Amino acid sequence: MANGWSLIVGLVFIVAFCGASWFLAPKGDDQTIWRSSLILSAAACYLMWAITFLAQWHPLVQPQRNDIRHLH
Amino acid sequence: MAPHKDTLFRSADMSLTQLYIANEIGREVVSALGELGVMDFRDLNAETTAFQRTFTQEIRRLDNVERQLRYFHSQMEKSDIAMRSIYDFNNILAAPSASEIDELTDRSQGLEARITGLNDSYETLKKREMELTEWRWVLREAGGFFDRARGQTEEIQQRTSEDNDDAPLLRDMEQHTEQAEQSFSVMNIGFVAGVIPRERMAAFERILWRTLRGNLYMNQSEIPEQIINPETNEGVNKNVFIIFAHGKEIIAKIRKISESLGADLYSVDENSELRRDQLHEVNTRLNDLASVLRNTKQTLDAELTQIGRSLAAWMVVVKKEKAVYETLNRFSYDQQRKTLIAEAWCPTSSLGLIKSTLQDVNDRAGLSVPTIVNQIRTSKTPPTYVKTNKFTLAFQTIIDAYGTAKYSEINPGLPTIVTFPFLFAVMFGDFGHGMLMTFAALAMIYWEKSLSRGKLDELFSMAFYGRYIMLMMGIFSMYTGLIYCDAFSKELPIFPSMWKWPEGAEEGQSVTAIRENGYTYPFGLDWMWHGTENDLLFSNSYKMKLSILMGWAHMTFSLCLSYVNARHFKSPIDIWGNFIPGMIFFQSIFGYLTWAIIYKWSVDWVSIDKNPPSLLNMLIYMFLQPGTLEDQLYSGQATLQIILVLLALVCVPIMLFLKPFYLRWEHNKARAMGYRGIGETTRVSALDDDDDDEESTTLNGGRDSYADDEDGVALITQDIGHGEEHEEFEFSEVMIHQVIHTIEFCLNCVSHTASYLRLWALSLAHQRLSIVLWDMTMKIAFGYSGAVGIVMIVVLFYLWFLLTIMVLCVMEGTSAMLHSLRLHWVEAMSKHFIGDGVAFEPFSFKVLLEEDPVE
Repeated sequence: MANGWSLIVGLVFIVAFCGASWFLAPKGDDQTIWRSSLILSAAACYLMWAITFLAQWHPLVQPQRNDIRHLH
Repeated sequence: MAPHKDTLFRSADMSLTQLYIANEIGREVVSALGELGVMDFRDLNAETTAFQRTFTQEIRRLDNVERQLRYFHSQMEKSDIAMRSIYDFNNILAAPSASEIDELTDRSQGLEARITGLNDSYETLKKREMELTEWRWVLREAGGFFDRARGQTEEIQQRTSEDNDDAPLLRDMEQHTEQAEQSFSVMNIGFVAGVIPRERMAAFERILWRTLRGNLYMNQSEIPEQIINPETNEGVNKNVFIIFAHGKEIIAKIRKISESLGADLYSVDENSELRRDQLHEVNTRLNDLASVLRNTKQTLDAELTQIGRSLAAWMVVVKKEKAVYETLNRFSYDQQRKTLIAEAWCPTSSLGLIKSTLQDVNDRAGLSVPTIVNQIRTSKTPPTYVKTNKFTLAFQTIIDAYGTAKYSEINPGLPTIVTFPFLFAVMFGDFGHGMLMTFAALAMIYWEKSLSRGKLDELFSMAFYGRYIMLMMGIFSMYTGLIYCDAFSKELPIFPSMWKWPEGAEEGQSVTAIRENGYTYPFGLDWMWHGTENDLLFSNSYKMKLSILMGWAHMTFSLCLSYVNARHFKSPIDIWGNFIPGMIFFQSIFGYLTWAIIYKWSVDWVSIDKNPPSLLNMLIYMFLQPGTLEDQLYSGQATLQIILVLLALVCVPIMLFLKPFYLRWEHNKARAMGYRGIGETTRVSALDDDDDDEESTTLNGGRDSYADDEDGVALITQDIGHGEEHEEFEFSEVMIHQVIHTIEFCLNCVSHTASYLRLWALSLAHQRLSIVLWDMTMKIAFGYSGAVGIVMIVVLFYLWFLLTIMVLCVMEGTSAMLHSLRLHWVEAMSKHFIGDGVAFEPFSFKVLLEEDPVE
C-alpha cells in the first residue's frame, strides 16, 4: 500500500493543490495572503509528512517491549 | 508601471504630497483627513517651539476643556455614577463643527462652576455635619463622666488640693452640707472636652502626663461608630475625652496640646439641664443638616448623571479637536495668500480617496478656492507602511517588534503567517492540546466584539490580541499531533500498524516487533511505538533529523528572499557578492547534510547488509580530515566531499572582497566622470539653499518651503535632500561592514542550524511531560475499581485537565512560542531583513482613540 511511490504521489498532489490555491485564491485585497498562506502551509505540511514517512521507510530499529501480554 | 495593489508582500507605495488649503477650512480639512487616517504630516515648523506656533491658543483652550471634563469624570467616579459607554454612541466618528466646539467650551465652563459650587457647599455641609456628630458624642459621653465624677468629687478634691494653697479650709463641712450643689468651679477646677483619633490617644495621654506631671484627671471613652472625614471620605475611629485640671494656665496648656495633636474641642456645660438642652439643639441641627445635605447630594448627582450621558462623546470630540490643532501646527502659513501649506506622506493608492474627500469638504464649505493636492518628487526615503487587517495585524506586530522593514523590501510578515505557527506546532505537537488551543482561539474570535470592548487583564489581553495566531498555532498543532501520533500523550491508531508482535511471546520477556513486509505506515509515526522501551531511541533520531531538515528549509527560504530583495533594489552586486556565495557556502555544507540524511533514509541498509554510517561523524570528518571516511554512504563520497569543502572555502573570500571592491570601483568611476556627491563642494540644487539663505528669503514667509517659479508649478519643499541619503563613500567603512557580515554569515550557518535543534528538544520535552502527567493522574485513577474508582477518576480527571491547561497548554505553549519567535527573529530574518525603515504614523482619529481610549 504505502511504499516509496507515496512520496511522489504526495508531491504531485501538493503541487496540484498549490497550483489550485494560486489560481483559485479569492480575488481582492487579500489575494496575496491567501496564496502565500495556502502554498506555504501545504509545503510545510508535506515536508513534515514526507520526513516522517522517510524515517520509517527503512527503519533501523524495531519497537521492543517486555510488558507484553499476548496482544496478538 | 501600472499601479499595483498594496499587499502584505511589500510595504505600500508612498507619495509625498503637498496640500494647499484655504485658511478658512483648514480645521475641517484636517478633521476629514483625520477620519481617513492615511496621511503622515511632516512637521514644517520643527525649529519653532510649541509656544510660538500658530494654534497654541486654541490648544490651550481645549486643554482647559479637557481638564474640566476630566474633573467631571473624577467627580462621577467619586460618587459612583456610571458614564454612558462610548460604544453606545452611534455616530461617534462624526467630526464636530466649530460652533459645536464653542458651545461645548461654554457649557463645560458653566457646568464646572456649578459642580464646583455644589461640591464646595456639599463639603462644607459635610464638615459641619461631622463636627456636630462629634459634638453630640462629646455631650453624651461627657454627661456620663460628669455623673460619675459628681460621685467622686471628694476624691478629686482631695487629690487636687493636697498641694493647693487656696483650698477651702473647712472642706469637710462643705462636703457634708453642699454636696449636691457642689460644682467644680467652686473648687477652681476647669475641664476640657473633645474628640481625638484613637491611634493618637496613647501619645496624647503620655504627653499630658509628662507636661502636667500628673496634675490632671482624665476620662475617655471610645465612640462606637466611625467618624467619616469628608475630605478623604474615610472613616476614622475616635475617642471622646474629658480632662479635669486645676488652674487656668494648666487648662490653657491642655487646650494647646490637644489642638496640636489634632483633637477637636467642644464646649460642654457642666450643668446637666443645660447639657440636655445643648444635646437637643445639636440633634435638631443635625436633622436639618441631613436634609440639606440630601438635597445637595441629589442635585449634584442629577447634574453629574446628566453630564455622564454625554461625557464620553465630549471627551472624544475634544481629543479629536486637539489633535486637529496639533496637526495644523505642523503646517506652514502663508500670510499673503491666506493659505495653509502642508506636506504629508500618504499611500499612493489612497490619493484618489484623499482628493475626493478634500473636494467634499470644499463643496460643503461652499468655497470657490479648491484645495490643491500636489505630488512631489523627492529623494527622501518614504516611511514604511504595511496595510494589515485584523487577521494579519498580530503577525505583522511580531515583525515590527523586531524592526521596521526598509521601504518596499520584502515584508517577512507574509510568510510568518504560516512559518511562525508551524514551527510552534513542531514543538507543541499534540492533537489534544492543539484542539484545546483551537477552541480557545475560536471562542475568542466568536466573541471578538464584546471582548474587545471589555477590560481584560494583561495576560488575557495578550492572548486576545494574538487570537488569530493562536488559531493557526492550534490548527497546525493538531496536524503535527497527528504526525507525532500523540493526543494527550496517547496514541491514535488510525491506520493498521507496520509492526506486529511475534506470536507466543512469554510474559516478562523482551520481544521485538516484526515488520509487515513492504508496508510503511502511511501517515505520521506508527502508533506501535507508544509505550515501547526504545521509542525514545527512534523518536529522538527522527525528531533531530526533522529539526535539521525543517531548519534547512526555513533558512534556505529566507536566504532566497534576500535574492528577491536585491533584485527589487536593483543592486546586482548584492546578488553576486552576497547571495550567490552565501547560498553556495550554506548548501555545500548543510544542503549536503540534508541530502545525506534523506539519502540514508531511502537506502534499505538491512537488505544490502551494510553498516549505515553516522552522519554526524561524516560531517565532522568532512572538515577535519577531508577525504577520509569511516563508513561509506555512497561511492565517490570522498571526492564529492572534498569538492564541496573547497567550494565552501572559495566562497568566503568572494563574499569578503567582491562587494567592497566593486563599490569602490564604481565610486571611482563616477568621480572620474566628474560627478560629486550633493553638498560635497558646492550646492548644486535649489533644493538645498534654504538653510544658508534663510535671512534673504524671510520676505517670502520665512522658512516657507515653496517658491513660485516662472512655470508656476515648481514647488520646492524644504530640507529635502538633507539627511543620511547622501553619505560620502568611505571604503574602509564598507570593508569593515562586509567583513562583519561575512564572518557573521559563515558562523551563523553553523550556529543557526544547530539552533533549530530546539525544535527537537522542545517537542521531546512536551511529549515526555504529557506522558508523565497522564501516568501520575489518570493512570493511577484507572487502577482502582468500584466506588473508589469513580471518585478517583472524577477527582484526578479534574486535576489532570487543570494541569493540562495550565502547564501543558499555557506554560509550554508560551515557551514554544518564544522559541518560535526567536527562530524567526534571529535565524530567519538575519538572512534577508534589512529593517532600517521609518514607521508610517498617519494622523488618524482611530489610532488616536485606540492609543488613548475614552472609557
